Amino acid sequence: MRVMGVGGGAREHALAWKLGLSDYKPEIFWVAENRNPGIHKICKDNQGELRVGRITDPKTIVRSARGWGVDMVVVGPEEPGFHGIPDALEKEGIQCIGASQELSIIERSKADLRRLQWENNLPGKLLFRTFKNAREASDYIRKNIGTQPWLQNIVIKPARQSGGKGVKLIEDRQIYLHNEKERFKEAYFDSLQASMAAYSDIEDKILIEEKAWGPEYSLQCFTDGKTVLGTPLVQDNKSAHDFDSGPETGGMGSISGPDMTLPFITREEYDKSLKIIEGVVEAAQKKTGKSYHGMVGGQMMLTENEGPTIIEMYSRLGDPEAINMLAMLKTDIIDVFQAIVERRLSKLKIEFTSEDAVVVKVVAPSGYPERREKARGHPVQVFETNVKRNGCYLFWGSAELQEDQQVLTGGSRLLTLMAMDHTLPPASARIEKTVSSIQLTDGWGLYHRSDIGTEQLLAKRQSEAERVRRLYKYMEERGILGSRMEWLPNVGRIDSSQLLLRELHGPEKA
Amino acid sequence: MTGLVGFYSFGEGRENWDASHFIHYGLSALQGRGQESVSLATIGPGSTLHTLGGKGGVEELFSSNKTSIPKGFIGIGQTSSYADDYLVHVKAPYELVLALDGKTDLHENRGEATKLFARQLSQLLHSEKESLKATSMLMNKIGGGYSFVALTHKQELVTGRNPLGVKPLETGSVGFDIAAVASETCALDVMGIDHTGPVETGEIIMFTPEDIRGNTPTTDPGNFCSYEYVYLARLDSKVNTLPVATVRNSIGRELAKAHAVKADVVIGVPETALSIANGYSQESGLPQEPGFMRTGENIRAALVPTQKERLIGVQLKLNPVKSAFEAKDIVLVDDSVVRGNTLRNTVLNLKRSGAQSVHVRIGSPALVSPCPYGVEIPPKDELIAGNLNEKELASTVGADSISFMTIEELQHAIGLPRQNLCMRCFEKGGTTK
Repeated sequence: MRVMGVGGGAREHALAWKLGLSDYKPEIFWVAENRNPGIHKICKDNQGELRVGRITDPKTIVRSARGWGVDMVVVGPEEPGFHGIPDALEKEGIQCIGASQELSIIERSKADLRRLQWENNLPGKLLFRTFKNAREASDYIRKNIGTQPWLQNIVIKPARQSGGKGVKLIEDRQIYLHNEKERFKEAYFDSLQASMAAYSDIEDKILIEEKAWGPEYSLQCFTDGKTVLGTPLVQDNKSAHDFDSGPETGGMGSISGPDMTLPFITREEYDKSLKIIEGVVEAAQKKTGKSYHGMVGGQMMLTENEGPTIIEMYSRLGDPEAINMLAMLKTDIIDVFQAIVERRLSKLKIEFTSEDAVVVKVVAPSGYPERREKARGHPVQVFETNVKRNGCYLFWGSAELQEDQQVLTGGSRLLTLMAMDHTLPPASARIEKTVSSIQLTDGWGLYHRSDIGTEQLLAKRQSEAERVRRLYKYMEERGILGSRMEWLPNVGRIDSSQLLLRELHGPEKA
Repeated sequence: MTGLVGFYSFGEGRENWDASHFIHYGLSALQGRGQESVSLATIGPGSTLHTLGGKGGVEELFSSNKTSIPKGFIGIGQTSSYADDYLVHVKAPYELVLALDGKTDLHENRGEATKLFARQLSQLLHSEKESLKATSMLMNKIGGGYSFVALTHKQELVTGRNPLGVKPLETGSVGFDIAAVASETCALDVMGIDHTGPVETGEIIMFTPEDIRGNTPTTDPGNFCSYEYVYLARLDSKVNTLPVATVRNSIGRELAKAHAVKADVVIGVPETALSIANGYSQESGLPQEPGFMRTGENIRAALVPTQKERLIGVQLKLNPVKSAFEAKDIVLVDDSVVRGNTLRNTVLNLKRSGAQSVHVRIGSPALVSPCPYGVEIPPKDELIAGNLNEKELASTVGADSISFMTIEELQHAIGLPRQNLCMRCFEKGGTTK
């Protein structure tokens, strides 16, 4: 059997690792935009090869797959999906594990995801509003902030994935800082509009959502379009530095296990989260008339108004969350992929370890994420015996293997270390012991988050979860979960959630 | 004593933040730590440090300098209980401004000691490639008890708490955009910043345009200032992860258990002792009544420099609510006694207003030694409890009885091991541990 992978990050290295462990002994081929040292080695050891090419170009991918005569392709990152790679492969009769272009809209357009949720009145959604331009956004907020209190505390996002433009959180709670917040908000609207002007494929440029708080977690699933199969919950940590501070990154590390939930999420919340994701997949299939087969994930948060809530969707596995899940997966990954391809996931008995907790930590060069040009091109040295001796696994990410076998940093997240143990803190400690085995020989700095997987951070998540759970349970017990009830002087009782439903459906349906 | 604030922003659009607004309100929340001099510095974009300082409180500085408030998206600030105590500005070899709470042991004089520390930091940031490691070594080398925050011309914010950990320092953040440090968590709350945890003993954190780096904190459990819990810190703060309000309540309860007295009503001296009186009332079952109304600004009597200002401060502060204690036996609860004049005024006020008897209960041991780390506890000669026994003291202030907590009782109320608490000011010629 011949399998081909697409993508060159740590997530893809982990996929290749898992394929290499399969009893089917597949020959492993790969296309990536960087010469990832880990994937390169696995391909070589399994009668295959790693080719460097543009992974968003259907021609390149189809030509490689046909040339190598592969039986199946698995797509790692989201961009190939956005560019229709799975569609192009299937048109050629090559089986592909990955969301098609139309279905990957749930990740590509944050505004379309919210619309899908509200149009179908699915649970686990946040109040939202889209705007065509910055002026419209600031005018709307200024005009309505008095009668729609949720507009005071918002998250501003580019309505579509857009080169490095991040999420901004504006909490306008202190009256004495109001002008300050307003000024920042408007300046950010302007800069978003400027960067989004290049995209003519969507009308909405700016998305605002109500600001929610609570512990976050990812639920990654396999789906064949009929069944959505949940995997163990994983919590990723997006801030660059300890104590959840610093700029937003692709994810600095994640925890999972030792069973299907996390220490601070209940089984009931797991089940609800899975239902929410099923609802989105179903609604997206209905809307597009296409079948979703591949991976899908919800970046979830427990919130006070909704309980489990979707923050964003993945049309793929998360990076680094994929590594946690794959480390816990006991079923042969080829069996999972074949069940997806043959649309018989409901019959598959998928198993995960219930004895081990998994901690994953990303090591990144200084300069990431805000000054990547400075973070690029530094020579890497790894003391592999130390990594092995501490029971850690290393997955290469943004790294470039040179002709002379030297590895250089690529400017983004360099590599990921994974360790397993009976509980999270000892697994975290193994990685802490190992990070010094990775160095840049030119003296440029590396960093990672030492707090991921520690008792201290777990206690913080736990306390956050308990506080928010008390709030949403209160609403649930009174049958008002999902409402946003407020009383305003001279206006009376309002529910922003009903207002939004009415706006989208007309008064009769809401 | 001083209150410190540091504000750091990241990410796209950060030039739109105006750090001075955050520092303004952060410092306002820390004015309990001093309001004699206030100063701030900001930077960004570019490499110019903008500074401003002035006598008096935070509002005074900000309202009288409306057009010259430093602009920038990164900044630090300090409010100080010392006269003319501003951020130290070192121009070369590595330009920086520094704010410090506590005292380093580089000089007898606190101000000089702070200047020397700032100069050494500048020297080292200039010459050492591994600035984090070097700063960490510097802090391990220089003794005393201090926390500091510095801002450099390269848009770096360096903050640390020396291994003794006697001075508090807390961190916070908002989303992906803002990180902050402050002497107390109340300042973070007021700035709308989520508290993330204390800076550990011996910990240095460096915020730079490239990253945030921290050294590994020392394993030293620290020797935390117990007076922070009794009086210095604000009620809505957490100090070393303990909520001040909870500790003050236990102090009151402990006081009621060990120093019970027959009385009709419990009255606390505003502001600090109100929560101690509350604990006393809950434990003893005696009702707590509001005994005083304050007029004018909240002047913290212990921190006001001259005798005259202190007396005016007290009189303005406390107008008795006569009906609360007319013809009653009163337990008067206060946090501490420094020179005794505040207490004397208060007791006499109560009696003049009709109180039958006044039993004074103090929520801390007698202050008998000055603070080596810069808290304005006056020299031994000026400490009334260091010079008089309880009986002499009672008659001097006009009380029917007076008693202080013991060191053991205070330690028990705080709930930390004895070796983790600095109680030097309560010990006659005592040591730190």
